[in-house]
Amino acid sequence: MKPQSLLESDPIDDYLTTKPRIPFKIPEEVPSGNYGLVINGYSLAHALEGNLELELLQTACMCKGVICCRMTPLQKAQVVELVKRYKKVVTLAIGDGANDVSMIKAAHIGVGISGQEGMQAMLNSDFAFSQFCYLQRLLLVHGRWSYNRMCKFLSYFFYKNFAFTLVHFWYAFYSGFSAQDVNETWSLRFPELYEPGQHNLYFNKKEFVKCLVHGIYSSLVLFFIPMGTIHNSVRTDGKEISDYQSFSTIVQTSLLCVVTMQIALETTYWTMISHIFTWGSLGFYFCILFFLYSDGLCLMFPNVFQLLGVARNTLDWPQVWLSVVLSMVLCMLPVIGYHFLKPLFWPVRVDKVIDRIHHCMSHPLPPRIRTRLKHAGSRRSAYAFSHKQGFGALITSGKTLKAKFPKKNSFPFKK
Amino acid sequence: MKRGSHDCQSRLPDNTALKQQQLPAYRLQLTATKILSGFFITGVFCLGAGVILLLSAKNIKEVEINYTEKCSDCAKLRENTANFDKECTCSIPFYLPEAMKGDVYMFYKLYGFYQNLYQYVLSRSNSQLMGIDIKDVSNCAPFKNSHNGIPIAPCGAIANSIFNDTIVLSYNLNSSMSIKVPMLRSGISWWTDKYVKFWNPGSQNLSSAFAGTAKPPSWPKPVYELDEEDPENNGFINEDFIVWMRTAAFPTFKKLYRRLSRIQHFTEGLPAGSYSFGITYNFPVTKFQGEKSVVLSTLTWSGGSSLFLGLAYTVTGALTWLAFFAMMAIHLRLKERKTLFHQE
Repeated sequence: MKPQSLLESDPIDDYLTTKPRIPFKIPEEVPSGNYGLVINGYSLAHALEGNLELELLQTACMCKGVICCRMTPLQKAQVVELVKRYKKVVTLAIGDGANDVSMIKAAHIGVGISGQEGMQAMLNSDFAFSQFCYLQRLLLVHGRWSYNRMCKFLSYFFYKNFAFTLVHFWYAFYSGFSAQDVNETWSLRFPELYEPGQHNLYFNKKEFVKCLVHGIYSSLVLFFIPMGTIHNSVRTDGKEISDYQSFSTIVQTSLLCVVTMQIALETTYWTMISHIFTWGSLGFYFCILFFLYSDGLCLMFPNVFQLLGVARNTLDWPQVWLSVVLSMVLCMLPVIGYHFLKPLFWPVRVDKVIDRIHHCMSHPLPPRIRTRLKHAGSRRSAYAFSHKQGFGALITSGKTLKAKFPKKNSFPFKK
Repeated sequence: MKRGSHDCQSRLPDNTALKQQQLPAYRLQLTATKILSGFFITGVFCLGAGVILLLSAKNIKEVEINYTEKCSDCAKLRENTANFDKECTCSIPFYLPEAMKGDVYMFYKLYGFYQNLYQYVLSRSNSQLMGIDIKDVSNCAPFKNSHNGIPIAPCGAIANSIFNDTIVLSYNLNSSMSIKVPMLRSGISWWTDKYVKFWNPGSQNLSSAFAGTAKPPSWPKPVYELDEEDPENNGFINEDFIVWMRTAAFPTFKKLYRRLSRIQHFTEGLPAGSYSFGITYNFPVTKFQGEKSVVLSTLTWSGGSSLFLGLAYTVTGALTWLAFFAMMAIHLRLKERKTLFHQE
């Protein structure tokens, strides 16, 4: 307890006396030294009562690490819920036994370890794997990728919809370094790259406004470039190109080419599947276009399918494709330029880390001494506790640990 | 606690590249060199395309004559709809200082006529125009049936408002003699429109094929009398009708009216000299503050004489190059600073 907590101005005291309606969050504090907290289940039963729980939470959050031992399953869940209720964080609980299930279910993200303790933890969790050490990879590699991809998807989704819908809006006036990404090894070595996810940096109100602006700009380009192209124009043989149906086909084709290019730019890892779906969807658009504008379909349902022959008559003239290319250039170049200039002028911590990575890659360090890592591989972890006789021998024999390096580890570790 | 080995293996995902997320992948990395060279190449391409387009647009010769005001007495006559059966002609002389070499096309251009109004665009019956069901007038409000309840063919607002001025170009060979410039009425509409989308119903005798239907209220003659000299251009497949039915996207538009037939004196195009337009003024535009004009124009590979695309490409190319130089300068300056920083 710090001396200031006795003052009336302390926010926690204020909360305790007044109990306001709005959900209360504990302010962040930085301790003046390195502290750890060890508390057992018996003491926790008292510490989680009434007003003491806030004190416990405040103290615990100021410590570098907290060890709660001998807890009942209910207490585990209560601790997680305490953190969730009073701190603005995302909680993750990891456990391997049936007594961890309530904790796993209480946290935002529950991770179960499948192993000797049974299947219960795994069945109730969001993620499951077989070793505690895989948690690092889950967070720093998969978690980061998942967040990045989700944000990219949301931005792209809103951008595409704004671009398309606003084109209709403009017509009504007339009748109308990528974030340079890094691979897995680097993301494990530089955990700071995980921070944008924690601070919700890649999709928030500011990003939404950015993709709104991007959508508006794209819609302006996609409307006015085709309009200018066909406005007072005819085809090379004098026949019509400035009709309503041709105009809509040209705008549609430009839009699809532009958004395909946009998603091609956003895709970092191009596997065969990405190629098939990206270019395939563009090709599929043209197939559908020709099908819907074909003679057969339009003759069968003349009042429904009215655009007979438009694709054939519009899309084989050079000025149409020149207009599509111009729309693509005008939409994509500002985006690429922005991706290039943003890390130079407004570098975020991630960009600085990426700079360091590039520097490391161009100036490789001598290979690190392996002894420390070997120790980590052969250290017996302290997570297993036995409530039944007979497991200790199994654990100490080392049979439950996977071999980390292909070379045989010649350090027999004796307890 | 022992588990059977087959039990463990059945839960493992297959060790294929797909399931282990180890598919061979190409990593898209936009490095500075790639971006800068991309900008440079795009700038070169856009500037080149822009210059070519501008040069080809400059080669086009175009003559436009706005005759709404020139034929003002006809315009006033047409403002009163009771005068619909009074014919009014108007003659507009003009002079071509240079010959128009090659194919010459004659268009009529309308200003302020909103063919893109939503209800107007919907008011047509494609099944009727295809010759499938001549009495299907379901979408054609407000021009479905005549006042006796007989279905109109062709129905709808688009057909009813067809442009019905006649424009004849005459060339003055010398001060006393003027000849009519031979013009073609065919080959002015899309092939798919003329031979697939529009089709006359039933038999050869068009007037019997159209029996049981009435003409649109604003038309002087019924549809099977649109071009009695050429049965290929009569009825629904009349090319002027087809061209009008292809609704324009914007309120200012020009539609192909006639093509020069390169025979007699006009094998090389239109020679220089004095010409005149003889216009039978039927289409009223002054009531909605619209205007109409006739356009004579040659064409190139890039279409009409619109300078827009050429200008847009040139401007884009220039801006791209500007951006390229700016980004290159920034990149070099910051690179210097970074290497200095790492050296320290």
